[in-house]
This record gives sequence, C-alpha cells and structure tokens, in this order.
Amino acid sequence: MKSIKYLSILALSLFVTTSCMNEFDEPQFNEPPFGNNEIGAATHTIAELKAKYASTISGNSVQQITEDIIIEGVVVANDESGNVYKQFIINDATGAMVIGVNDVGLYAMVPKGQRVRIACKDLYIGGYGKMAQIGGLYNGKVGRMNRYIYPQHIRIIGLPDMMQEEMQPAVIDDSFFTNDNKNNLAKFVRLENVSITEANGTELWAPEEKKNSSNVVERNIKIGSTKIVLRMSTYADFANEAIPTGKLNINGVMTRYNDYWQFVISHTTDIEKVIE
Amino acid sequence: MTKLTKFAALLLLFFVSTANSQGATTVGNGMKKEQPARTFYADTLNNKTNAVDNIILIDDNNESYTFSEGQLGEDEDFSGTTAMISSNDDYFLSEVGYRFSAMRFRTRAYESHYNNVYANGVMLNDAERGQFSYGMIGGLNDATRNKEGATYTEHNSFGIGSIGGASNINMRASQYAAGHKASLVGCNRNYLARIMYTGSTGLMQNGWAFTVSASYRWANEGVIEGTFYNSLGYFLAAEKKIGDSHSISIATWGSPTERAQQGAATEEAYWLAGSHYYNPNWGYQQGKKRNARVVNSYEPAAVITWDYEINDKMKLTTSLFGKYSMYSTSALGWNGNAADPRPNYYQNLPSAAYDVWDLEYTPTDDELADYNTRKEHWTASKANRQLNWDYMHYANQQANAVGGECLYYVERRHNDQLTLNLGSSLNIDFNKHNKGTVGLQLGTTKGMHYKTMDDLMGAKKYTDIDKFSVGDFGINSDYVQNDVDNPNRQIKEGDVFGYDYDIYVNNASLFYQHKYSKGIFHFFAGAHADGTTMERYGNMRNGRAQQYSKGSSGTATFFGGGAKLGMIFAFNAYNTLSLGGGYENRAPLAYNSFIAPRMRNDFVIGLKNEDIFNAEIAYNLNVGPLSAKVSGYGTIIKNSVEQSAFYNDQESQFTYLTMTGVNKLHYGLEAAVVYNITSSLSVNLLASVGDAEYTNNASGMLISENEAVWKNSDVYMKGVKLDGTPLTALSLGIDYNIKGWYLSANVNYYDRIYIDASKYARLASVVGAPVIDATTGEERLDIPSQYKGKGGIIVDASIGKSISLREGKKLNINLQLSNLLNNTNMITGGYEQNRDDSYADGSERTYKFSKNPFLYYANAFNFYLNIGFRF
Repeated sequence: MKSIKYLSILALSLFVTTSCMNEFDEPQFNEPPFGNNEIGAATHTIAELKAKYASTISGNSVQQITEDIIIEGVVVANDESGNVYKQFIINDATGAMVIGVNDVGLYAMVPKGQRVRIACKDLYIGGYGKMAQIGGLYNGKVGRMNRYIYPQHIRIIGLPDMMQEEMQPAVIDDSFFTNDNKNNLAKFVRLENVSITEANGTELWAPEEKKNSSNVVERNIKIGSTKIVLRMSTYADFANEAIPTGKLNINGVMTRYNDYWQFVISHTTDIEKVIE
Repeated sequence: MTKLTKFAALLLLFFVSTANSQGATTVGNGMKKEQPARTFYADTLNNKTNAVDNIILIDDNNESYTFSEGQLGEDEDFSGTTAMISSNDDYFLSEVGYRFSAMRFRTRAYESHYNNVYANGVMLNDAERGQFSYGMIGGLNDATRNKEGATYTEHNSFGIGSIGGASNINMRASQYAAGHKASLVGCNRNYLARIMYTGSTGLMQNGWAFTVSASYRWANEGVIEGTFYNSLGYFLAAEKKIGDSHSISIATWGSPTERAQQGAATEEAYWLAGSHYYNPNWGYQQGKKRNARVVNSYEPAAVITWDYEINDKMKLTTSLFGKYSMYSTSALGWNGNAADPRPNYYQNLPSAAYDVWDLEYTPTDDELADYNTRKEHWTASKANRQLNWDYMHYANQQANAVGGECLYYVERRHNDQLTLNLGSSLNIDFNKHNKGTVGLQLGTTKGMHYKTMDDLMGAKKYTDIDKFSVGDFGINSDYVQNDVDNPNRQIKEGDVFGYDYDIYVNNASLFYQHKYSKGIFHFFAGAHADGTTMERYGNMRNGRAQQYSKGSSGTATFFGGGAKLGMIFAFNAYNTLSLGGGYENRAPLAYNSFIAPRMRNDFVIGLKNEDIFNAEIAYNLNVGPLSAKVSGYGTIIKNSVEQSAFYNDQESQFTYLTMTGVNKLHYGLEAAVVYNITSSLSVNLLASVGDAEYTNNASGMLISENEAVWKNSDVYMKGVKLDGTPLTALSLGIDYNIKGWYLSANVNYYDRIYIDASKYARLASVVGAPVIDATTGEERLDIPSQYKGKGGIIVDASIGKSISLREGKKLNINLQLSNLLNNTNMITGGYEQNRDDSYADGSERTYKFSKNPFLYYANAFNFYLNIGFRF
C-alpha cells in the first residue's frame, strides 16, 4: 500500500503544481502593442497639410506623400456604431482629417478621444468629392490604405480622453457655410438647436426599404438656407431606431461631397435633445 | 519499495525532460506534428489481442477496448465521434478500433449514439446526446479495461444493444488482478507523458476487495503548437462479499482535465503556414502562447452494485449510477462592432483579395498587390498568423479609459449534467440449452447549458445584449435583451450570460434476451420497450422569443421499442454461418429535439421516433492455420432528426438548422483473415469497405439567434456521405514474436474519407433556382459536391519486450511507431463552411467558401513508448 501513497502523492503534487496551465495575468503595456511607436512629433498641423496639397484635393486627384510629414490629432469619429465604415477622423486645433483604412473594427485601436500621430510619408492624399482624405491608392483615386501597411503609419499616444481640447467641437451657425470653409473640410463641429427634417417620432434612421445603392438613407438638416445631408448607413447600430424629434444639439464632422454639405454622425450619443 | 518509487520518479523526470525538448524542437517544423487535441492511443498498444502472441500482454484482459481520444467524442467541435462496436469474440471488431484509430475510424460509419456503454450493468451514455463520454474515464485505462462487449446480434448479460453494439465495464473491486502495476508513457502526441498506477488487493479472506488506480497525463505543449494537456485520473473501488450469494460493491472515479484544443483550418491557411498541423486557436499574450479554446472537464461518477446469486441458475445484478459532469469549452467573443480576431477569418486570407479560383480572371494591380500583402503578412512571422491577445487586451484598456464597452472577451460554454441511472438485470439459465436475461434501465438526467464570462480581458463593462439584434431592432428594444427580465445586465467574470437553460430527460427501458444453443444451431432473440420524456426549462427570457423562452417547454413523451433475431449455424468445426436482423423504433435525442434551444422552448415541428432496420450475415472459416471471417451488413435509418448548430458568418449569428425526415443507409462488407505461418509468425488482413449516405432530401428549419421566427426550407441531402471516417479501410499486418520479443507491422490503406457537408449550403433557399448546365443544356440544381479526401497509406510498427523478473515481477517495454512514412496528407475529416458564395442580393462574393473547407489531418510520424512494471 505504500506505493499507492507515494504514487498518489506524486500524481497529486504534479497536478497541483501544474493545474494552472491556463492562467494569465492582465498585461500591462509600457507602450501600445499596436502601431509604430517610433513616429516622432508632428511636423504639420492638419490645416498646413491640407494647404500644402490644396490643389490636389480640390482637383479630386491624388498624390503620394514623399516628405516626412507627421500630423497629430484626436479621434472624433470612427466606425464604432457602424455608421462610419473603414475610416476614422482625427481633429487638431486647425481642422479635421479623414483617414481611410481598409479594415473593419478600427475603433478598437482608435476609440473616440484617442490621440494619434499619422506618419504620412508613402501614404496618399487626395480629394474625395473635393474633400481631403489620407489613405491609399484605389483605381487612380485616393482610397483606403492597406490594413497591413496601416500599423506602420500610426502611433497611438496614451489612453483616450474625452475631455481634452481637441474633443471640443466648434459651435457653428449659418455663417459657417462659406466657400472658404467648404474648402477646408473636414471640421469637427457642433450644431445647436437644429432639427432633422424627416423626424416624426416613428421614422427610423436608416430602414432597409429606403436605402440607396450604397446602403445609405439620406436625412436632412436645414440651417438657414443651407441644406445639410446626413448619410445614415443601414449597417449602423442605430439604423432601426426612431430619429429624435424636436430641437437637437449634435456633435459631428462637417464634410462635403463636391458641392454638397454632408454631416457625419458617428454615434447617437453625440446627439442631445434640447430641453425646451 | 522506496527504490521503486525513486526509479519511477527518475523515469518520469527523464520522460518529462525528453518529451519536453521534443516538443520544443519540433515547434519550428510543423510538418512533424500531429493533432494532439484529438488523438492519442489508449495504452492498449501493447495490450492487443493477437492471434499468435499474448506473452507481451501486460494486462489481464485484452480486447477491443482501444480508441483514440479524437474518436471518443471528447471534442465536440469535431462532428464525427466514434461508434466502436466491441465484441469479445470478433477479431475484426477487436482489431479495427485500434488499428484504424489514426484515421478516426468508425465501424460501419455508425454514429456514436448507436453504441451503448454500461458499467456493472447500468447505462452510462449521455441521455441528451446519446453517446458515451470517454472523457469521463480519461486516463483510467487500467481500471476500465475489463469489459464484456456484444454486437447487435450477440447475447449479453446486461442490456440490449443497438446497431453499434453494447459493452459493459466491470468495475467490481474483486475483478481486478491482485497486485500492483505502474506504467510510464513518453510520447509526442496530445500529451507527452503519462504516469499510471493500479493496485488491487484481490478478494481477501475477509470478503473485502479494494482497487485503486490513478494516472496523470501531461503536456505543457503537445505536439500541436499552442495546445497543452493537464489531466488527473482516479478510480477507487471497494467490494464486500456478504455470505455466499451477496456482494456489494462501490466504485467512484473521475478525471479532472484541462486541455487546449487544435482547430481546423482551410488548405490555404495550411499552405501559408507551411504545415497541415497549423493551429489557429492560439496566439501570443506578452510573448507567452495562449490558446482560446480550453476544455475543462470533470465528471465525477459513482456506481453502487448489488450482485445477488439467487441460486445456481439465477443471478441478479442491480446497479445505481450517479454523475455530476462539468464540461465547458472556452471561446473568444467579440462585442459591438469589433473585428473578428481569428487569424484565419476569411477576410484575412489572400484568396479574399480576388477570385483565385477563376483561372480566366486577371486580377487588377490593386487586387494583386492586396493579395501579396496578405500573403506576406501570413508568411512574415508566426505571430501574424496567430491570435493577437495583446491587441485585444489593449483595445479593452482603451475602452475602459472612456467608460466604453468590452470589445474582446473569453466566454465559457458549459454543458453540465446531473444523472441518476438504475440498471437491473436477471440472468437465468433455464437449462443446458436456454439462457435468458431480463432487465430494466431507468434514468433521469438534468442537462444544464449556459455560458459564463471566463475572462473579460481587463474590460470593465459588458452588457448582456445580443449585438446582432441591435442593428435590427435598436438598442432600446426589448428584442436585443438576452434576458428581458434582467435588462442590460452588467456582466462580471464568472457571471452567467447569453443563454441559460436546462434539459430534462427521463427514460425507462425494459428488455428481454434469449439464447438457445443446441448442436449446430444457435439462436438469439431480444426485444425491448422504451419510454422517453424530455423537457426544456428556460432560465432566461430571451428578447427574440419572449413568450417561448422562459420556463417549461412542456413535456414530450416518446414510446419506442424493438426486436431482433440472430441465428448461427456451426456446420462443423470449420464453417459457421450467422444471420441476424431486427427493427428498432427509437426516440429522438433531446439534443436534436428543440429549435434553437439556447433561446427558445419550441420542440422541433414533426418530431418523432426514428426507425432502424438492420440485417447482418457472416461466414466464418477456420482451417488449420487459417481463420477468416467475412460479413455483410445493411442498415436503414428513417425519420431521423438532426440538428446542426454553427456560427453562421452569412447571418453573422449563431444559427440552428434542424433537419427532420432524414433517411440514411449504411451497408458494406467486413473481412478479417489471419494466417499463422508458424507458431510465432502470422499475417493478417483486415478490410472494411462500405457506404454510408443520406438517401433523401430532408425538411429543414433554420433560425439564427437574432431572429424571432424560423424559415422552412428543404435540404438537399440525398447522396451526401457520412463523414469523418474512411469508408474504405484495408490493412495488411504481420506479427512476430520470439523469446519475449514482440514485433508487428501494419500497412493500412484508407480511402473515401468525406468531410461534414454543410447543410446550410444545401438548403433549397441557398441553392436557389435551377441553372442551365453548360454541357448538357438541361436544367439542374447547383448543389455543392461534398469534399472528399484523397486515399493513402499509413504504416505503423511496434516492438515490445517482456522481461520476467524474480518473484513474479514483470517488466514490459513497448514502443509504438505510428505513421512511419510520415504521410502528412491524409485527411481524417473536417467540415464545409456554412456560407454561400453569393451575397443576399445574388451577386458573387470574392472569397469562395465552397472551395475552402476546414480540414483535419491525420498525425504525422509519432511514437509512444510505454514501460510497464508489474509487482
């Protein structure tokens, strides 16, 4: 019987000592495990970059960036709710820029409020509907950058913070809709006391049956005499929620498609009802 | 004794260190690897019944109890699990299980729930899924080897078997040989080392007998990269003879196990990884390998037996069996709109860049560049083609900083069971020629199915809603809630979420078997009557089925039964002919009986018993050194119900597809020939050539977890073959023994190995309208053809030596070398993707799901060294 004892003890001790094969500590990161942590400080503001390539942008053409240009901004819109697809928008004190990446679930690394740097060298800049976008080359136009190239061009800085200055949108009114402003989009803005034309209490944001060929339902806001189009995706998490009625304050990104003003809402939490 | 312990410990250490380094050195060379999460040989390698040799046998009982873990249904992800017919008297049946185990061979391609396993006369099969859980006796090979097996047409002393036969493990403490046995195993399979001890007092003067067995199986990394194995087994039995006619015995056992799994991949992924043993389930976390799919299982069980010898002619055996099984598998989850983190997700593969299957198509520069970057990414580093745990954790940490929802997590899907079964059988010897067994089996089972949050990966917030329903119904709708009664519940680690339901199954069966033998004629008849009830009880009110999810489904009752006959004509000492056949009307399995059981209480529409017709014929020849058996069988199964539950990328949702009115046919030939050239040299031939297929198109019901209603559609199953086993398996073997040495070698040929056909891809609604055939100009349905693996040869050999020591002690050494030619191209099974190649609007997708089945390959060359010491 001795042997039973010995062997049981041996077996048991083996079990006890090795019974934690699947235990892992929560990792602590000194630097983000994603992106290129070598990217240095910004060389240009977003406005400077837009100005530098103004003619390319306005001409709806595309150009590869060959200089060591680095921009820095804070993410103000992304694909978290599914209304924005394969891009995110960063904002600095001078303006906002659309970054196109051919991947889904981008918001995992670029949540709203995340400060990032983009190393622009070798990427493409161009005009999509005359608005600036950084990305890759697609059929001779500016498109989304390859998802495997993307990590080499982005640096994640610190953790996201919703209170930082870049997260404060510029409050705009009808005086904003000038040609000059139109040529410097995108811009992170706040619309106050606006209402959505189609809202009637039951109308949904983007029902399947009303979508166009791009799976989008267009909604409208009028500010003064300016018509602004909200392109709402049927893939958005809130696609089948009712459009809020009454006066609203909305944070979002003002963009253009050629001569049309468009407004990007990336999440319904960016919409607040005005208490009247 | 102390010396022995030291010796054992030293040997163990030796194995651990060598096996370990083996694992480490093969890491870089994927082609050398096998599939540990699914396959190992039981240590019966050195214990097999052999026509010419039984000197090497370490163990007391040697029969067909041979299996590989993959075959055993331990791995739920793999559709095919073993149906191992066992028989104490049949060379073919006792050999094929072991010899063809590398290919996960299932005898006659029967599904495993047609094979019943008993212990001391009480049924052990899982009442919900119908099959025996071999994980329950993991590592207890010595303790469970003593078995009585009987085929469909053989009489047995414990219970009536279905087409897959029945076997009865003898767990009475007095039935183990007195003495001690210790063994050590070193191998390069899903575990690397095993230590086992079994000791028994035998029946002592005072009427008591005690038997204990313990084992430990270990691999910090099995031969498949990113897997591990950590398993203890224990068995304790006591028996007391009371007077001359009574005996009470109790046995309790369990096998707490933690093991990481291998996942299947497509041929493209295998090609990119440079190995058929690429495992997409693991990835690096802070430089350490972590597997997302970890099975935790522990099924503590006990059986209490009362044996009563009423008189010389009558013996009553009554056993009560109880178990509380805990089985769970972990899996990665991704929340919100987070990207699918699986490295082999189709969008990550080069062939998603453009249609590589259309040879006429010239990709654009952009497409070609995209293809190349994907390929480069896959091949540039190992980490790139594995999970990225650091990325997932960091995403959660970022979300925490702004109060966001968890993106990535690990969930644990539990299938627990509480079972109490009673089995009682009375064996009566009426006279010299007549023998009968009457018996009863009663069982009650509560199956508990739920998932828990295993690891939030640092996230602080997870809300229990169905992310896929959010887009359809809006975040504020009740429809998105997984439990409307606890809306927006915040989930912490360990909490139950998603689904939670119980399945209750009760069954009762009464049987009688009769055996008559006189002269050349032997006759066997058996009949049984069964009753089964089943009920689902929901513990959550699912938002998509608010009226049909919480509480009871009501109880469904099924009555069934069957009868069978067998006849043997032993014309003379050389020729025997046997015939058998029968019919069975069998209740559907609870597992298949509910539509979307994770969320709903509905029974499948048109649920009814299945009908099984079976016929067998066999001819035996024994002339001098030659013994041969050839048999033919035919089985028709009608009106079956089958459920596939799978993650459906098309619907982006966990989906259930239930088929009713399923008809199947199994038929074929089996042969075994042994020729003893000399008393120490023999050759043998084994052949199993059969067919097993669906014979009609079934009715299907399809529902995803984000849907409130199901869709009906026919499923084009006619002609689909049963999968995961070679329908052709041939083996030529040679055995030689001399002076305690034992050598054997087998050449095995396998062909017609099919993979699990996607029922989804065969739905009439997915197949669509008939197309005009380009060559014939006639209309035909574009039903996908089932993927079939190529045939091939696997060569195995073993060498052993038995050394008798002083005082009756014995040392046995056996080395098994499997797949000597290192054939790494043998598919053992797999599954087609549950998607179709076009979008909902009919336009073609770039990636061709129909061309990219997930495949499993048979083990590469591997060894298994077993050293046994009897003292």
